[in-house]
Amino acid sequence: MNTLSATPGILAAFRKYLRIFRVSLTERFAYRGDFFLGTFLRFLPMLTTILLWTAVFDGAKESGREELGGYRYREMIAYLLLVHISRMFSSMPGLASGIARDIRDGSLKKYLVQPLDLIGYLISYRAAHKAAYIVTSALPYAVIFGICYRFFDHWPDAITLVAYLISLLLAFVVGFAFEACVGMIGFWLLEVSSVLYIIMTLNYFVSGHMFPIDVLGEPWATFLKLLPTQYLAYFPATVFLGKTTGLDLTHGLIIEAIWAVVLLLLARVLYRTGLRRYSAYGG
Amino acid sequence: MMRYVRLFRAFARVSLLGDMAFRGNFLIKVVVELLWLGLMVFFYDRLFDFTAAVAGWSRPQYFFFLGTYYLMESLIETFFLSNFGEFSELVRTGNLDLVLLKPVDEQFLISFRHVEWSTLPSAVFGLILMTRSILQLDVPPPAMAYVAFAVGLTCAVAMAYSFLLMLSATAVWLVRNQSLYELWWLFMSLMRYPKEIFNAPYTNAIGWFFTFIIPVLLAVNVPAASVVKLLDSQMIAYLVASAVILLFVSRRVFRRAMQSYRSASS
Repeated sequence: MNTLSATPGILAAFRKYLRIFRVSLTERFAYRGDFFLGTFLRFLPMLTTILLWTAVFDGAKESGREELGGYRYREMIAYLLLVHISRMFSSMPGLASGIARDIRDGSLKKYLVQPLDLIGYLISYRAAHKAAYIVTSALPYAVIFGICYRFFDHWPDAITLVAYLISLLLAFVVGFAFEACVGMIGFWLLEVSSVLYIIMTLNYFVSGHMFPIDVLGEPWATFLKLLPTQYLAYFPATVFLGKTTGLDLTHGLIIEAIWAVVLLLLARVLYRTGLRRYSAYGG
Repeated sequence: MMRYVRLFRAFARVSLLGDMAFRGNFLIKVVVELLWLGLMVFFYDRLFDFTAAVAGWSRPQYFFFLGTYYLMESLIETFFLSNFGEFSELVRTGNLDLVLLKPVDEQFLISFRHVEWSTLPSAVFGLILMTRSILQLDVPPPAMAYVAFAVGLTCAVAMAYSFLLMLSATAVWLVRNQSLYELWWLFMSLMRYPKEIFNAPYTNAIGWFFTFIIPVLLAVNVPAASVVKLLDSQMIAYLVASAVILLFVSRRVFRRAMQSYRSASS
C-alpha cells in the first residue's frame, strides 16, 4: 500500500502537491548554467530602461516640466524597478502554451488517468519555479535595490508592506489563472500560438510593465485600470510606492482577490467544458 | 555558391507555403506585429509631448532611429531568429544528427532553414516611419548618408547574426531548456535606445564596453545617426571591421561547438 492512500483526505492531497513542488525545484536546478545566464541578462533591459527615462526627464526639465502622468523622475524609476518584483510573482512563461500543447498532442490524458488535477498540478509546479527564481534572484535584486536606494523616498510602513505582500501573492494567483484561461483556448482552437502572442504582447503594454498606466492619459488610463491585467504589474508597484492608499488600497486588494477567484473558477469551467470536446489525439 | 542560393530560395518557398496553409494564423501574426509597433509609436509620441528631445535626439530624429530599429529587427526575425530558436531544441533532443548528416554546410542549414514571412511587413512599417521622419527634418540628408546607412545596416545585421550564432552555440555546452528568444530579447534591449543615454557618470564605462568591446550599441545607432545626425566615417569603418571580425569569430565558435556535440537520446 502506498503512502498516499494511507493518509487520505486533505493532508494526502497536500503531500502530493508538495512532492510535485520538490521535484520541480530539482528540475529547475538541473539547467543551472542557462538559468544563471538568463538571470544575468535580465538586468540589462532594467538598466537601459532606467537610462532612457533619465534621458526623457532630463529633456523635459529643459522645457520646464517635471511630472509625467503624476510621476516625478525618481518615482518613475522606482516604479520601473518595482514592476520587476510584480512580474517576478505574476509572470508565467510558457504556461498557456504548455496547456495548449498538452491539449493538442493528447498528453492531457495523463491528468485524466491519474488522481491528479491539472490546475492543482500546474499551480504547485509554478509555485516551485517561482520559489526557485525568487530565491536565486533575491541577492542580485537586493544589490540593485541597494544601488538604487536613492530613487525611493522612504521605506513603506508595516501596514503598506503587508498590503504589498498580499498584492504580490494575489498577483501570482491572478497571473497563473489568467494564463491558464488563455491556455484553455486550446480546446477550441488547434493553433493557438498566434492568439497567445497577441495576448502576451498586449499584456506587456496594458499591465503597466513598460510604464505606469497613468502616462497614457485619459481615457486610456481609466479603461486599463478596469482590467485584471493591471494587477500583474501596475497595482503592486503603486502599493509599494504609496500611490494607492487608504480606501483605494482596500478596494484594490478586494478587487484583486475577486479577480483571482473569478479567473481560477473560469479556468476550471473552461477546463470542464473543454474536456467534453476533448478527443485525446495521439498515442 | 549558386547551390546555396537555390537552396535558400527553396527554403523561402517552402516556408511561405507552410504559412499559406494556415492563412488565418499568418494574418493574425502580421496584424499583432504591426499593432505592437503602432502601440510603441503611440507611446513615444506621448513621450515627445512631454519632452522636446531624448538624449539629444529630436522627435523626427528619434522616430528615424525607431524606424531603423524596426527595420533591423524585422530582418533578423524574418531571416534567422526562428532558426536559432529551434537550434537548442535540436541539441537537447539529439535531432541535430539529421542536420549534420546532410551534405550541406551545417551553419548555413541551421541559420536559414526557415523564413519567417510574417515579420517582413514590420520592415515596411519601419521604412514608412523612417520616410516620414526624413520629410519632417529641416535639412534633407546628403546622398552619401544613404550609402553609409545601407553599409551600416548590412554590417549591423551581420553582427546580430554573429551574436545569435554564438549565443545558440552555447546551447551545446549549457544544454538549454530556456528559449533563446527571451535571451535575445534581453540582448536587443541594448540596441533599442540611442547610445547617448549611457552618457552619465556611472554608466559611461558600460556604454564604452558595449561600443568598443562588444559593439552592440553601434548596431542601430551608427546607421541611424549617419542619416539624421552626423555621418561619422570612423564609426562606419569600425562597424564594418567589427562585422567582419564577428562573422569570422562566430563561425569558429560554432565549429568548436559542433565538435563538442555529443548527440542525445536514441
